[in-house]
Parts: sequence; C-alpha cells; structure tokens
Amino acid sequence: MTTATLEKAAAADAPRKQKVILAEGNEAAALGVALARPDMVSVYPITPQSSLVEHLAKLIADGRMDADIVDAEGEHSVLSVLQGGALAGARTYTATCGPGLAFMFEPYFRTPGMRLPIVLTIVTRDGITPQSVWGGHQDAMTVREAGWIQVYCENVQEVLDTTVMAFKIAEHHDVMLPVNVCLDGNYLSYGASRVELPDQADVDEFMGEKDVNWHVALDPLRPMAVDPLTGGTTGKGPQTFVRYRKGQCRGMQNALAVIEEVHADWAKRIGRSFAPLVEEYRLEDAEFAIMTLGSMTGAAKDAIDEARDAGKKVGLIKIKTFSPFPVDALMKALAKVRALGVIDRSVGFRWNCGPMYQETLGVLYRLGRHIPSMSFIGGLAGADITIPHVHRVIADTEALLNGATAPTEPVWLNEKD
Amino acid sequence: MGRAYSTIAFDPAKCDGCGDCMKACAQAKTGTDDVARSRIQIYGRGDATEKDFELALCRQCADPKCVTVCPAGALNKDGTTGVIGWDASKCVDCLLCTVGCAYAGIALDETAGHVSKCDTCDGNPACVPACPHGALKYITTANIYNEVGDWEDLFAPGLAGCQGCNTELLMRHTLRRVGPDTVLATPPGCVPGMGSVGFNGTTGTKIPVFHPLLTNTAAMLAGIKRQYKRVGREVQALAIAGDGGASDVGFQSLSGAAERGEQMLFMVVDNEGYMNTGMQRSSCTPYGAWTSTTPVGETSRGKTQDAKNLPLIMVNHRCAYVATASTAYMEDLYEKLDKAIAASKTGFAYLHVYSPCTTGWRFPSNLNMEVARKAVETNFVMLWEYTPQEGLHFTKSVDNPLPVTDYLKAMGRFRHLEPEQVEHIQKKVVENQKFVERMTEHAHVG
Amino acid sequence: MDRATEHTKYLIAGSSHAALEAINAIRMHDPEGSLTVVTRDSHLPYSPTVLPYVVSGKSAPARIFLRDEDFFARNKVSYRPESALKALHADENTAELADGSTIVYEKLLLATGASPAIPPIPGIDTVSYHVLRTLDDALKLRGAIAASKQAVVLGAGLVGMHAAENLVKAGASVTIVEMSDQLTSGYFDKVAADMIEQAFRDAGAKIMTGSRVVRLEPTAAGAKLTLENGTTLAADLLLVATGVKPEMAYLNGSGVEHAQGILVDDRMQTTVTNVWAAGDCAQARGFFTGTQVMNAILPDATLQGRVAGMAMAGDPGIQEYAGGVPLNTYHFFGRHAISVGSSKVPEGGEVVTRFDEKTGHYLKAIFGADGCLSGIFGVNEFFDGGVMAQLILRRIDLTPLRDRFVANPLAVGREIMSQTWR
Repeated sequence: MTTATLEKAAAADAPRKQKVILAEGNEAAALGVALARPDMVSVYPITPQSSLVEHLAKLIADGRMDADIVDAEGEHSVLSVLQGGALAGARTYTATCGPGLAFMFEPYFRTPGMRLPIVLTIVTRDGITPQSVWGGHQDAMTVREAGWIQVYCENVQEVLDTTVMAFKIAEHHDVMLPVNVCLDGNYLSYGASRVELPDQADVDEFMGEKDVNWHVALDPLRPMAVDPLTGGTTGKGPQTFVRYRKGQCRGMQNALAVIEEVHADWAKRIGRSFAPLVEEYRLEDAEFAIMTLGSMTGAAKDAIDEARDAGKKVGLIKIKTFSPFPVDALMKALAKVRALGVIDRSVGFRWNCGPMYQETLGVLYRLGRHIPSMSFIGGLAGADITIPHVHRVIADTEALLNGATAPTEPVWLNEKD
Repeated sequence: MGRAYSTIAFDPAKCDGCGDCMKACAQAKTGTDDVARSRIQIYGRGDATEKDFELALCRQCADPKCVTVCPAGALNKDGTTGVIGWDASKCVDCLLCTVGCAYAGIALDETAGHVSKCDTCDGNPACVPACPHGALKYITTANIYNEVGDWEDLFAPGLAGCQGCNTELLMRHTLRRVGPDTVLATPPGCVPGMGSVGFNGTTGTKIPVFHPLLTNTAAMLAGIKRQYKRVGREVQALAIAGDGGASDVGFQSLSGAAERGEQMLFMVVDNEGYMNTGMQRSSCTPYGAWTSTTPVGETSRGKTQDAKNLPLIMVNHRCAYVATASTAYMEDLYEKLDKAIAASKTGFAYLHVYSPCTTGWRFPSNLNMEVARKAVETNFVMLWEYTPQEGLHFTKSVDNPLPVTDYLKAMGRFRHLEPEQVEHIQKKVVENQKFVERMTEHAHVG
Repeated sequence: MDRATEHTKYLIAGSSHAALEAINAIRMHDPEGSLTVVTRDSHLPYSPTVLPYVVSGKSAPARIFLRDEDFFARNKVSYRPESALKALHADENTAELADGSTIVYEKLLLATGASPAIPPIPGIDTVSYHVLRTLDDALKLRGAIAASKQAVVLGAGLVGMHAAENLVKAGASVTIVEMSDQLTSGYFDKVAADMIEQAFRDAGAKIMTGSRVVRLEPTAAGAKLTLENGTTLAADLLLVATGVKPEMAYLNGSGVEHAQGILVDDRMQTTVTNVWAAGDCAQARGFFTGTQVMNAILPDATLQGRVAGMAMAGDPGIQEYAGGVPLNTYHFFGRHAISVGSSKVPEGGEVVTRFDEKTGHYLKAIFGADGCLSGIFGVNEFFDGGVMAQLILRRIDLTPLRDRFVANPLAVGREIMSQTWR
C-alpha cells in the first residue's frame, strides 16, 4: 500500500465535521440519546434529572428525534413500559435518580434477568433521609448488585459520547444487559461546557443495524412464553434459575472486552477516546495513588498536577466502568503503587467506608501484596469536592506510604466545611 | 367440533306453580286451555314447602334414548337446532319412546291419542315469556359456542385450575375471541398459576405470553403495543389479571395506562382476594367475608371494610370502554368482549369479570355458575357497560333483586355473619344499586 | 384362496337396533376403523317391532327404515345386505357368509336377532302358515289379511295380539289360540289380561286360552286345526306367533357358549375373545336375577348394542350393563297397557293394586322389602315407562312417597326425575 492510499483511507475514516455547542450534562445526555435513535423513551421527571427529560421532550416535539415518548405515571411504570417496548423490538431509553430509582427497583432488578438492553441514565442523587435533592452516588451504588452495567462520566463531553456508546454495549450479543450511564447530579447535570456534537451519519455507521430482541420477544410471529415460572426446589426449576444467573454473570464479564472494543471503535469513528474501564493519570512513575469516580476526577487531576509540581510522586486512578468491576485493569494500575487513597461520593454502611473502597479491597487482596490504603467520603448531598479536599487525600495517603497506620474509619471530607 | 343448542332452563327456586307456562303451551300447541295437554308440566312437591316445583319437559338430549328405541323412525334429532322432532306420519303409537325417556319429556297426550313433546316452538318457546317469575329461560348461549367452537383454542390442554373454577373458561374463550395476533400478559395470580406462562421453560399458550410483575401489567403491555403500532403491525394487547394485582399494588400502572388511553384490553378476573396464594384479602374483598387475613375468631368476624368498586373507578378514567360481566351470563360477556376488543383498537378497554372462587369462597365445585348467577340476581354485583359516548347503562335489569342472603348462604366465607352484618351488606347492595342507577341517569351523550 | 379375503376391524352381524347402536358407539370413539355390517335381510335396517303396523297398513313399508343409505357412507360403514352369517371360525377370527365369502375381523358383534319359534305340532309342515319377523313376512301377511274370512292366530304374545287386532279390524272372524290360561302372559298379569281379552271379545274375536293344538291338516281353504279337547277350527289364514328363538345356528363348532341365547358378560363379551353379542340373540344379566336371562325387548337391544360397541372400540367411558329390566308397552283398540319391571313379588315385598272397573283404570305396583319399586303395570293408566325404569334401576327408596306414588305414579315419578336434571 502506498502512502497516498493510506492517507485516502484515513481520510475516508475520519469523522465528519462536529458542531461545537455549549451544553449542560442533562442536555448532552439528551443529545446523545437522540443520536442513538431509540424507538421509545419513557420519562417521569425528578430533580436533578428533570431537564434531561425536558430536553428529550423538546427534541421530539421539534422533530429532531423520532421516538415514541411515554409520559408514564411513575418510574416503576417508566421502566415497565420500556421492558414491553424492548420485548417488542424497541431500542429504549430513560433516566432517573434517587427516590425514582428506588421506586423503580422492582422492574429494575428484573431487566438484566430478561437480558433487555435498556439504557438508563442515573443523574446521581444522594439517598434520603435527610431529605436532599442534591448530587451524590448513593442511588447508583445502592443498586450495584442488581446486574446492570454501570459506567460513570467525568465531564459533559463524556456524558454525550458514553450515552451513545451505552446502547452499543447493551445490545452487543455477547452482553445483552442494561446499562446505567451515571452522571453526577448538579455538577454534570447542570454544569455547562463546550461539547462537540458528532455527526449523525458517523453515529449511524457506528451503531450499525438495530437488533435488540433477537433472543427474547413477545411477538405473535414467534410466540414464546417470557419469564416462565421455575417450579420445584430440585431439577428443572433451580437448573433454569442457575442458567439465567450464570448467563447474566457471563454477560457482565463479556462486557469488559466489549466496552473496550466499543470505546476503541468510537475513538476511530468519532475521533475522541476515553479510558473504557480504568483511567491511569500520571501513574507511570507514581509511588502512591488516589482513586476517583465521576466528576470529582476533574478537580482531582488538577490537585495531582499541583502535587506533582510540588514533587510528590502521586498518580490518579479513575474508575469509569464500575459494574462489572474492572478487576484486571485495576490490578494492573494498583501494581504500580505502594499506597492508595480512595474517594467515594457515597456511603458503604456495612463496612463503614466508601463502597468503591470496599470493592477495591477485593482487588488489593487479589494482588497478593499489601498496599496500605484508606477510605475518603466526600461530596455527599451536593457538597463540593475541591482541590484542597483532594490535597488532604494526597497528604493522608502519602502518610500511609511513609508508614502511618491507616484509620479504621473513613475520612469525611466535608464534615467541617 | 359438535354443535351446541339452545335450551329451555328451569329454575325451581323462582317457580310458584302458577301454571301460566302450561296454559301458554296448551294454547300454542293445541289451541285449547287444557293444561293436561301442555308439553311442559309443572309438579308441586307435596312433601316439601309449597315453593318447591319440578317439571317434566323434553331436555332435547344430545344422545336421545327416545330416538333409539323408536321402532318406526318417527323421532329424530335435528342436527341444526338440536330439537328432537316427532313425525306423526311415521309414529305407530307404540309408546316405546316413553319407555326410553327418563324425564317424561315425551308422553302420551290422551286426548290426541298420540305422544307429544316440546319442539321449542321453532326456537321461540311460548312457555318462556309466559312465566311471570323468570323461572323459565330460553338459553341461547349455544350460539356462541357454535360460532367460536371451531376457532383455535390458544391455551394448552389441561390447565391446572381448581376444580370448578370458571377462569379457564374465561381464558380459553377470551383468547379464541382475540385470536393469535395477540400478546398476553398474565400477572402473578391464578391465571399463571394455572399454567398460562408454563413452568420450567414450557408454555401454556400458543401465543406470546408473559408474566408481568404484579404491579406493572398495564405499563409493560403499553410498551409492547406502542412499539408494534410504531412499526405498523396490528397486534392485540391483552391482560388477564386478578383483582388484587389490579385494585391494590397494580392500580397505579392500571390507572396510568387508562389515563394515557393506552390501546389494550385489560380484563380483571375478580375473585375478590389473593386466591392463588392462599386466599388473602384484597381491596375487592367484600365486607364480612372470611379470608386468611381477615379471619373469623373471638374478636373478628371477617373483613370490616366494603369492597373497592374498581370498575366504577375505571369509569372515572373515561376509558374507551368499561364493563362488568359474569360467566353466568355468557352472551352478555361475549357482547362486551366484542365491544371491548373493538374499543381497545383506539383506547383503553376495561372488562371486569366477577369470578366466584370455589376454593377460597368455599362452595361445592359444581356450583360456580350458580353462585355467579346469584351474585347478579341479588344485585351483589351489577352488570353494566360504559362508553364516553353513551354513558353508563345496565345490561341486566337490577329490578326485583333476590334478597342478598340468597347469595351469602351459597358459600362458606359468609357463614359466620351476624344478622347485623347481613343487614349491613344488604344496605350496601341497595346503596350501590342507587349509586350506579344515578350514574345511568346522568349518562351524558356526546 | 382365489380372491383376497376381506379384512375388517369391526364386523357386525345383524342390522337392527343392537347393531345400529353398536355402530354409533364405535364411531363415537373410533371414527376411522374399518367397519362392516353383514345382514341376512335384503333391506335397509328396520325394526321387527314396527312390522305389525306394516301389516295393519299404519306404516308405509317404504318409510319404516331406521337409516338411509347415506348413513352408512357417512359413517364409513360397508353395509352388506343378503349376507347372513353362516359359520364362525372364532379361532381364526374369520366369519363365513351365506354367499360363500369370508371376512377376517378383529372384533365381531353378533346381533343376529331372533326368528320365529315354530312349535312341533304334528302336521305343521304340511300346511301353509304365516309368521311375522321380517319385512317380507309382514308384506305377505298384509296381502293375506284382506282376503281372509276366517283366521286363526296361534299364540297370544304381543305379535299375535297385534295381528289379531288387525285381522279383526279387516273384518275377518278371528280366533286366538293360546296354550297358557291368559293372554299376554309374561307381559301382563291376569287382571290386565282379562281387560285385554274383554276388549278383543267386544270386537268380535274368539279367545281360546288354555288350549293346545295337537294336529294340523291342510284343507282347500287353508288348514284345519285340532285342539287337545277335540275342537276343530278351520282357517283360511294361520299365523304362528308362538314366540321367537335366537338366531345362532352359525355358532356350531365356534366355541362360543350359548344356552337359550348367546351367553355374554356385563360388557356383552361372549366366552370367546374378540366376539361380542347383543340384542335378541344375547343372554345377558337380568337386573332382578343377576343371572343370565333372555330379555328380548327393544330398549335392551339398544342398550346392549351400545355397551358392546364401546367395549369393542375400547372406549374408556364404558359403563357396564346393569342388567335387563323388562319393559313393554301395548296399544290395543285405542287403549294402552304398560309393564315395567318384574311381576314377581320379591321376598318381604308388597303389592299395591288399584282398579276402577267403571273407568277401566288398573294399576299394580310391586315394592321390594327395601322400599324400592320392582315392577309397575297399568292398563289405561298412563305413566312414563322410562321414568319408572329409572326408579327401578336407580333403586330409589320410595317408602316416604309410597301413598302419593301409588295414587299418582306419573306425577311423583316426574318430580323425582326432574330433580336430577332441570
């Protein structure tokens, strides 16, 4: 192949021109949904998700999006409508948060069991009580054992891009699982920033042909009973049940590779790349690291840069894919450091630490090498995780590296703000 | 499939022995008032109270012995009408037919010197309208079976319902009616308990069927229907749900779908409780009824609240169609089913079918239809239909109801009732009747 | 073998009531299995019971048939008239027919009915006489009646009595000669028989009960009969109606056990595998005796035919034969007599009679010690024979209703049965 041909091929593959706009996270999510061309969206408004569904309604009302919008009477029905739609072949989408997600839990848990590739944005909101309409990861963390894929976005552009990719991941035949795109309430939902809007034709090529219910359908042309009763405590009943559960677990594990593939394909076609599972930031020569999730990563990266400038050998590990938990990728990152501080934006009540920290302990155990670590909890109920907060994390973690004893309680970053 | 036939039914509880039927028959068949020549004969039972009457009348048997024992070929069952016809020109007056019949359906007319028997007056029996008490009815339900009997039964054979349950009848006939281009939702309850969705990977139907949650039947169906509509396919969305899932925990999604006018037929099989799981109370359970969660004991005499009237609540959603029905009135049910299916093409259609539960209400398994009938005859439940255009009207008269005790005493779940509880129920029946009657008066047009 | 032997799944010999019911029962359960009916008759199926009415002219011969040709086609039945069963080789499942052909069957029903029993009176083979069992007999007799001036009927069973009435009505002088001391013995009791006798005498018939014919001689006009007491009777028409005997000559060497008739169990199976029998040729359980008896009446023939058909087809819905209950109706000179059940009074039983000489209403009811009806007989007293038979078969204790029942068996019987199906 000559150089000229190579260039020509590269040009053909190059993304079409992207429109630059200013958008909030909720609007970016809505635009991402529109690009993915779902057949059906069902919505019920809840703070801080409301503007997302308002944008969707407007996009549909303006004819910029061709989807059936079902204004259901509550989140429970929202997801139920989508299950029906998916079983009839629809690509489906919704968004919710906090109490809405809790109310949705009954059909929510069932969705991955039926292997329905529904995409649901959690505009994360802290759990009540006390009453709060502000951000925090408690809602998404609380349902982390329900079998959904969960990915967390760092910024508004990633929200838009990940929303499109989520459909492709969910509908992949090796996965066939619903996906939560988690975007931080307040910080991302209302935070406006520069966003590049991919060209619809590029996205169409990226998405390929729609095929969402090849495995299960409620269709008179291929009648089947969906979700039969499993009878008996031995034999066919439990065997069927185990087959379902093992299938879900296999789909989850398959998702790790599929998420990477899809991100690579996105980078190739759209021209933007994001770390699919775990992002390593300035980790190559780091002695210790801090771990982040979601929008806090922006401030954390700035703090890392400042710490580096101050001569500290610190790096950052960002989790993008929280479910399935990216054990291998995280092990690879952790192998590079000797102390770790983990910042959670939610509470793990059972272990008295952050939930991501708790998950990470399992990976540290697998690593087979003792790395001192500690848990930080911050940003609850809309509180800010600022650069000074991250500096405290860096300092406490560095102390571990230098032989300090890890506290048995988490550090509550905003306790005295 | 064989044919079913219309038949004259007799309810001894309503007969007072007035003999008007015999007079009408004698007049119609002999042109005289000689009731001895009537082909229907009423007999008072001298050994019981004067209210007990019995009858001799041809049952137009499917397998008539009178025909087989006739040596002259003078008797024949008409394959179309089911009537056993007597050919005078062939009869030899040997009376062997009277030896064949166990019910005195064919007997000697001594004046004529020949046997005579009921011929149903060519499908318009004179005796029936002559009865002033409604003890005689000409049941034409057979027409339904003849029409739909050959249509494909879309349920598997051998559904595992309780003995005597009418829900299987309802399921099979409803599916026959809607046909194979249907997606069926059967939320947790008796219907999947009978095997509609199958067990361990089998299926109970020949159409797509699923278990929604108890709570989201209407929502899931709405999603299915909307997607097929979007892609231009005509698919019927049908739910066959229990009263518990519809009136209690599933009410929100039901109400939401009705408000949005989702295009589906939502059928509630109301057996007045959570019967599949051991007969717990639902909000459709009537006052005073025993259930496993409203038990009868030292300090408790059954449910202490009146039932929620779910169909009336659905009327207030201004659904495209709302009706109540009973399997004791199959023709009425079928008419409503047809209208509900038609309405579901453009909006939300709701059909509430009262379904006595042999197991949970505690009555003999052969009495399901009788209990269902008594519920209607006492106005314990009322049969009506509603459309936004025509308003609400009764499809079965609510005048001259039987006392509610006739219904209550038919089953075990009310056996413990104190007189004041019965009084309360009777009062509520009257109150409900007046309430619905007022709605019929206020039926608006347009 | 020169020609292929015909095979059939079901072979039925005979074509009257028992055979027709068997066809029906088989087809209810097995719509397709090959079915062949062979019969000695040359006509479509008819009932022997209708023949007196053919003789009287009440029934047009062309309109007495119980089934038309189409019936056999519709039911996939090969119908072979004039093919009497000649011999049965049960060990080979083969039937040999009068026309020389053979049929191999899987299941065989013998419903060959009965033929007139001809008494061994000296000289009977020298005179010409009539019998009445087939349509051809009936047509011959009908032709003879018109010309008869002086007729003698031998035997006062229902066939003889019907024929005698026809002869009387045709204007002949008729004498009925009966060995026993009453008419219609075996059907009706003495009181009823006397009423019947009176009706015949009133119409001009001569009745000679307790009389035995000892010699028959041919005469120019017909025959001369000599009775035991020396009386002689001249007849231009002689009808021998002294009863019937089952048609079963073909059984010789077949191994099928028979006594008065072909012995069958409660599923109408004979003593031989794959062979059943029903109707007038069968000797089956009697309801009252429990032993095998002859009960050659039409209602039982239909019932037995059905049981046999269901058994042959393997229909699991079969109900075993409960035993025959005698049932007879008799219409004479505008009056009627009905007999249901046994005339024998059971041990500890009770007989209730009611007789109104003025109106000629007669009723006799017999109850067992258990209070159940065992027989009921009436003249000019109409009650439903079918209802009474059910009261007997269902063994319904009538003790609490006894007085009302005897006063009005029609109404009380109907009340009881009405409750079973409204």
